[in-house]
This record gives sequence, C-alpha cells and structure tokens, in this order.
Amino acid sequence: MQMYKHTSNVRGHLALVAVIGMAVLAGCASSPTSTGNTSSPAASSAASQSAAATATSQCGTKPGVTATGTPIALGGIVTNEAGTSFTDIANMAAAYFACVNANGGINGHPVKYYIETEQTNPAQIAAEAKQLVQTDHVVGIVGNTSIIECSIDSSYWQRLGYDIIDSGIAPECWSTPSSAAVNMGPRYSSDGAVQYALTQHVSKIAFDQSNVPGTGYIAAGPAALAAAARVPITQLTENVPITNADSVAIREVDAAGPNGAVVLNFTPPEALVILQAAQKLGLEDRVKIWGCSTPCNTDFLAAALGPKWDHKLFVNAELTPPDVTNTPTMSLYRAILAKYGKAVSGGIGSFSQMGFTEAEIAVHALDTITGPYTVASVNAAFRAVSNFNTGMLCQLWTYGTYAMHIPNNEDYTVTPDNGKMVTAQGCTQISSVDPQIAAYRKLAGVAALAP
Amino acid sequence: MPSWQDFQPFIVTGLALGGVYALSGVGLVVLYRATGVVYLAFGAVGAMGALIAWSVTNAGGPGWSGWLACVLFAAGVTVGYGMLFGPALAKRDPLVKATATLGLLLVLFGTMDLLWTTSGGESRALSLPTDNSGFTVGQIQINWTQVIGLAAGVVITVLTALFLRHTRLGTAMRAMANDREITATLGVPVRRVEAAAWLGCGVLAGIAGLLLADMVALDATTLTFLVISSLAAALIARLRSIAFTFAAAIVIGLVQNMLVPISSLSNYSDMTPFVLAAAALLVLVRRRVMTSSREES
Repeated sequence: MQMYKHTSNVRGHLALVAVIGMAVLAGCASSPTSTGNTSSPAASSAASQSAAATATSQCGTKPGVTATGTPIALGGIVTNEAGTSFTDIANMAAAYFACVNANGGINGHPVKYYIETEQTNPAQIAAEAKQLVQTDHVVGIVGNTSIIECSIDSSYWQRLGYDIIDSGIAPECWSTPSSAAVNMGPRYSSDGAVQYALTQHVSKIAFDQSNVPGTGYIAAGPAALAAAARVPITQLTENVPITNADSVAIREVDAAGPNGAVVLNFTPPEALVILQAAQKLGLEDRVKIWGCSTPCNTDFLAAALGPKWDHKLFVNAELTPPDVTNTPTMSLYRAILAKYGKAVSGGIGSFSQMGFTEAEIAVHALDTITGPYTVASVNAAFRAVSNFNTGMLCQLWTYGTYAMHIPNNEDYTVTPDNGKMVTAQGCTQISSVDPQIAAYRKLAGVAALAP
Repeated sequence: MPSWQDFQPFIVTGLALGGVYALSGVGLVVLYRATGVVYLAFGAVGAMGALIAWSVTNAGGPGWSGWLACVLFAAGVTVGYGMLFGPALAKRDPLVKATATLGLLLVLFGTMDLLWTTSGGESRALSLPTDNSGFTVGQIQINWTQVIGLAAGVVITVLTALFLRHTRLGTAMRAMANDREITATLGVPVRRVEAAAWLGCGVLAGIAGLLLADMVALDATTLTFLVISSLAAALIARLRSIAFTFAAAIVIGLVQNMLVPISSLSNYSDMTPFVLAAAALLVLVRRRVMTSSREES
C-alpha cells in the first residue's frame, strides 16, 4: 500500500513534467497578431503629419487621386510567432502600397496586398502559398520574410513562374532562381561583421549564433573569410532563448582572447542580453572589438546598451542608416511611415526599410507594364528590374535571370553613439572570399554604387 | 576539457542563478503545501511584473516605483487567481489544479506579446543599480546583483523554514499540507491561510521576475518558461522539503552553467533541470521499491 501511494505520487510528478513540456510547446506555437494598434514613433506631431502629406504625394503620378481601377493583387508571407515576428516588413510594404493607391495607383489600378502570417509550420506555409495563388489570385509575391518559407516554397514559385521580391532568411532565398532579396541575410551580414573585425587586425574571432537549423550554412561564410586572413575562428552556438547569458558572454570572451573579436549573429533581444551580461561582468574591454550582424542595427539596442558600447560594438548594416540620411527617398520613407504606417510597431529601422524597399521595387516594376497585369507580365517586369536605385542600398539593385541572387552584397558598418547607431564605415563590398558571393559576382558582375 | 580556472566564473554565475531558482522553488513548494496547487504561471506573473517595471521606469518613474509595481502586480494577480479559482478547484486532483494555472500563464503570455511587442526588433532591458558595482575574487569579477541572487535564495529559504515552524500561520499551512479537511474541522481559517500562501508566492514571483529580468533577459518567453528550472528543483524535493528545494536549485544552477565551457556539452546545458528531475524521481522510486521489498521479505 505504501509503495503504491508513493509510485502514484511520482507518476503525478512525471505527469507534471509532461504538462510543463506541453506548456513550452504551446508557448512556442502560439500565434499572436498584435501589430495593428501600436502607434509608430514617427507619427508624433501635427507638423510632421503636414510634412508627411506633402511628401507622400510623391508616391504616385497623380497626387491626391485615389486609384479606382481593377486591383492588382500582390501577396506576402511573414513569420509571426512568439519571440519572432517580421510583420513590420509586410506592414511597411502595405503602407507603401496604400500611399501609391492614394496617389493614382499603378496607371489607375490600386494594389491589393494580402499578408499571410505563419508560425514556422511547413504545412501551413505551403497552404498559405496555395491560398495566395488559388484563392486570392495574386500576380506577384512581395515582402516575404519567413524563417523557412524560401526552403518550403521556392520550387512551387519556380514552377508557377513567380519571381519573389523578399527579405531573405533561409539559404534558398539567395541560392535559387525565383527569389531576390533586398537584404543580405544572416550569412552575408555575418561576413560583413567578421570582415570589419578583420580590418581591425584582431588575432582571433569567436563567432556565436543561435543553435537553429542552417547554422552550418551561415558559419561557412565567416569561416572562409577568417581562413583567408589566416585568423583562427571559433564557431559557437547557443540555444535560444538564452537563459544563462552570463555564461555565454564569459565563454565568448574566453574564446576570442584579449586581442580578439566576438561576433554575434542573434536577434536584437538575444544580442542585448549577451552584451548586457558582458557589461555587468566587466567583459566589454576584455576583447578588442565586438561585432554583430544586421539585426543589432536598431536604436533600441543602442539606447538599451548605454555609452560603454559606443565605438566598441560594430554592427553590419545592410541598408542606408536612416537617422543621418536626408535624401528624397528617406524623406518619402519617413512620410509614408508617419501617414500610413500605424501598424509598423518598430517605426524607423531595418525592418520597415526592407518593407519600403521591396514595395518600391515592385511598384517601379509594375509601372513599366503596359498591358494586363498577369502572373506572366508582372513577374517578367520583376525579373527585368536592373540597376534600380532604391535609395536604401549601397548598390543599384538588379533581379535578372540568374540561377542565384545576392543583389545586395555591399554594406555599411555602424556603431552605437549616444543612444543612436551612427556610421563607422561607408559602403564596403562583401569579400568574394565567400564562395557564394564569388559565384554570384561571376554570374551578375559587380553592381555599380548607388549615386 | 577546460581547466579548473576556466570553470571558476561559471561557478559564480551558476550560484547566482541557482539562488533565484531556489527563491522561486521555495515559493512554489510553500504554495503547493498549503493549497495543493503547482503554480505553473509563476514565471509568467514575474515576467509581466518585470515588463511593467520596465514601462514605469521607461516612462520616467524612479526605479523603486517600477520594482514596487512589479511586486504588487505579481502579488495581486496571484492572490486574485487564488481567491477566484482556488475554492472551486480545491477538491480537484493536483494535476487539474496545475493545468488550470496554465490558463493563467497563456492569458498573461498573450497579453505580454500584445503589449510589449517585438515585431519591430524591439529589445528591452531592466537593469538594477547593483549591476554597476561589485568586487573581484582572484580573476573573477562578481557584481552585487549576483550576490543578491544567491543571498535572496538563502534568506528566503531560512525565513520560510522559520516561518513554517514557529508561527501560527506557518503551523496552519503545514497542517493543511497534511490534511485540509481535518485542519478546517479544527477551526483553522482555511481561506485566510490559503490567501497568505498565494500572497507569499506572488511576492516571490515578483522578486524573482525582477532578478531574472536583470540576470537573464527581459523577455516574456524566456522569463515565463524559466519557471521550469525552479519547478524541477521543487520536484526533486518532492514538493515537500524547502531545504532540499534550495539544494536542488543550487545544483541545477551550477550544473547548467558549468556545462557551458565544455564545448561538446554546451548546447545540452538547458536539459539540466529535466535530466536532474527525472533522475531524482527514478532514484526515489527505486529506493522506495527496494525498501518495500525488504520489508515484505
């Protein structure tokens, strides 16, 4: 009797462990949709609203005239799950299209933009692609930003003749004929961060990233760069979310050594916990420099870190720094964000810049079509985009008919300075030592710098 | 294999985290003993409290007002849940009671994702003033937050043990852990005792939320599920012994962090709470079976 009672208790405890496991899964699989009601930081004053109204008239050829023709259906698939959301990118593309529609549209046709969100579920992602094509009858895919969408759908898009304009994450976003990204993605951005560290003559590099599928593909770029420079590199991975940041920071610093560099490839929240842990333990000066791939390029991070990291942390930036740039494109971007970007919760930043750029390229392509807007005509127009000055990238952007596309392969380096990210190094080509970059340049050549 | 010297900084971080796990584990055990509820929302309550503290300080409020808001929120939500659902679930199986708290966890988790969105790459941090000062032992720098983490675990464990042993309320809680019905028959105000247990647990959730937000990350997902480490410690102690909970939490914190410098095991360090809890439960079962077999023969 005694034994039975105790065994029962233990079974209860084991069942509790199972319940906790289910809770973890439930948390990971939840699908919040929470971007619609948060005000953009840019939309703050009446003066800026007035300026925005003036600037947004440049969205189309007929300022103030609402497009009423047959809609041109476009779609996009973005990841939106607990801890990882790219909805700002699609929401900014939607804001751009709204601006175009309010100013004459595409030859009088408004863009109807369908956004699908997914939770890293392959079956769901495949179904959403089919829904966009078969139910929504989209003629083009713009603004895709998903952890695995390129891997799941690339052959589907290729089979149907869709040429995607996206923000890439999975390797297939750059290595297939049907996807051209406006960003460089984790591999080439990490290349950029490591490349900058190498220019600072570090003696060793510790490259640390999330322990998720695809780390080997990302790590290959920095490894090639370090090997070419004859600098030892230690590859590390961390389970995310990070629950022992102090230990992670200590391990990185130990691996890099006093004249070395720690280069991170994490989302901003994960990078922040590592850098803050390093700061609390007094480790920030125990290596020569710290580097980070593009996700760290946010003013949130610069402000949260504080002055100890000013000109100590160097972040690869795939897009033109918006805070210090006053070009017509950047003014339009700010104006659209202020007037139409209520759903863009992060405001000014890389994500909204990517969404802006993707929509901008799509509209540029659509404007060239003279006949009906079909899958064939729209995607032919996308493919035909060549040497287009987006105003957001170092280089002119080209789609083309290549077997692979890395049209953004030249970048900036920024560093925190008084709570903002400022430019530390201007446009610099990612080295062709990375075999993927070399392969792309062999196909497409080296794009000219944007004027 | 790293040298002993390489392990030393990881011992410090492990002890600090273990201390906070202990603090949380003690709160869970006390609540379980008094009410029979395994409070799975402990981490989510602390996480939301910490995010509220961040919002308060980010809006220009003084640091202490944020910390107070965190603890008050955690205590309020926990007592509110206990008073609202506790009586209705009092006679249900412990597994049902635990699962019910998952509902609260999911509601809070969804609310946090809605109010403190990360879709634009937002990253937040909550720093305590004790982060910026400390001392050095040998080559290892220790900050006061780490000291507070470990000290809080020790102090809460000792105070709770003294409270349960030497106060009327503590005695009532221990009596309820043995038999709720008989305790009620003896005239103990059961509801009031339960409310005190919920309140204590809520306050500890708030304090743990603040410390973990500083020591680990101010992130809803991370903080919500950090309760697993504390719960594993409580399970190793069979949800009974506060002293064993403390010891188990320290061991979990230490092992989890000391695996980090070992390259081949580093990515498995997060499994530590599960592995230790499962191993402890299996050993306990085996020992009990052997004892019973000996008695029968």
